[in-house]
Amino acid sequence: MSTQSDKSHTVADVMLTMNACPLADERTILKEVLEAMDKHRLGVVCIVDQDMHLTGILTEGDVRRKLLRVQKPLAALLADDVITHAVKSPISITADVQLMDALDLMGEKKIWDLPVVDADMKVVGLLHLHQAIRGVLQSKTGND
Amino acid sequence: MSNKTISVKTPDGQIKIGRGNDLVLIAGPCAIESRDHSMRMGELIARVCAKLGVLWIFKACYDKDCRSSPSSFHGLGIDDGLRILGDVRSEIGVPVTSDFSDPSWGEATGEVCDMVQIPAYLCRQTSMLRAAAVTGKPVHLKKGQFMSPWNMKNSCRKLEAFGNDQILLTDRGTFFGYNMLVNDMRCFPIMQETGHPVCYDATHSIQLPTSMGNISGGQREFIPHLTRAAAACGIEALFMEVHDDPPNAMSDANTVLDIQYLEVVLAQAKAMHDMRQELRAKWGEDNVHPE
Repeated sequence: MSTQSDKSHTVADVMLTMNACPLADERTILKEVLEAMDKHRLGVVCIVDQDMHLTGILTEGDVRRKLLRVQKPLAALLADDVITHAVKSPISITADVQLMDALDLMGEKKIWDLPVVDADMKVVGLLHLHQAIRGVLQSKTGND
Repeated sequence: MSNKTISVKTPDGQIKIGRGNDLVLIAGPCAIESRDHSMRMGELIARVCAKLGVLWIFKACYDKDCRSSPSSFHGLGIDDGLRILGDVRSEIGVPVTSDFSDPSWGEATGEVCDMVQIPAYLCRQTSMLRAAAVTGKPVHLKKGQFMSPWNMKNSCRKLEAFGNDQILLTDRGTFFGYNMLVNDMRCFPIMQETGHPVCYDATHSIQLPTSMGNISGGQREFIPHLTRAAAACGIEALFMEVHDDPPNAMSDANTVLDIQYLEVVLAQAKAMHDMRQELRAKWGEDNVHPE
């Protein structure tokens, strides 16, 4: 639910732009995806096809659950295509959505990150919880 | 995971290797010993395969670069060897294949052979994979004895990056300490995760590598057991080196299957394969406890 004070803030104002967003194609091996997460200091990677359409998402939580469940050797897991372990058809949002509405969605789904896509489902950025909260706080204090 | 099928050209059509197709045999002497011997072996194998209704590919190598001893027979060489393979192809009417051990031999091998093979020891060498891929022919890639089945995905990715996704993956045993191989049947479903068809090498799998000082030994008595196990587990092709006089075979004398036993081993492999096809039709894929 958006409020009067944050009306001017949309996802586009605070989202991570493409060069700060970890991306991988479906056949990138899991080990390289984890390295990309580490490099960007984020616990998420967006899976895209060659035209940058969002096809999946992998989070640290997904990896944690796999480690506890699959019982396969770590070397085998690291060599897998990332799409094998990714969440297909993930929740996403568009850049013009009000920030508070995006935060409501993140709270409702208990997620820290939302891929930001255009009308054609191409990835244009990533909304991370930290930036979203900071954006809302700034709007409430008028400290843009 | 997609289930890809490879197509091997034959003198009068093609052989398909992949999920839902009949078991295909890849067989022949380890090395091309002579033109006459290759023809004789080809005729003997063809007779068995015709009787059992099995499509097959003639395999023999023109250069054995992985022998244990410098004095071991190395092969007839690329020129004579490929000429003989070409003769086998035209006179017996069967597709042919050979491995190659040097990237510079890839082009010539691909011009004659209907499928090119990469030796197990070289299965992750980028230059070899590139040379095989650019032939445009299906690539028979053997899993190195030192490789995990999941790491074969990297070799497949290289072949695919070089533009060739016609890949057949073969298990020929995994080192279990020194001078000993074992077959981990999990190799097959794991390598099938690539989407490519898989094959079992029944004769190299029973090899005891370099166990005889400067040559390899082998326990041929286990060929039927392991072949049945692999076919029941799920393979699309069976590879066997066969010979009409194993004690005097010029290469791999301790592992080649005596041609007199080909029918009994192949018939059982085919029966197990056919039964697996029936079981899959009835019960579906082996997909319990998916990740």
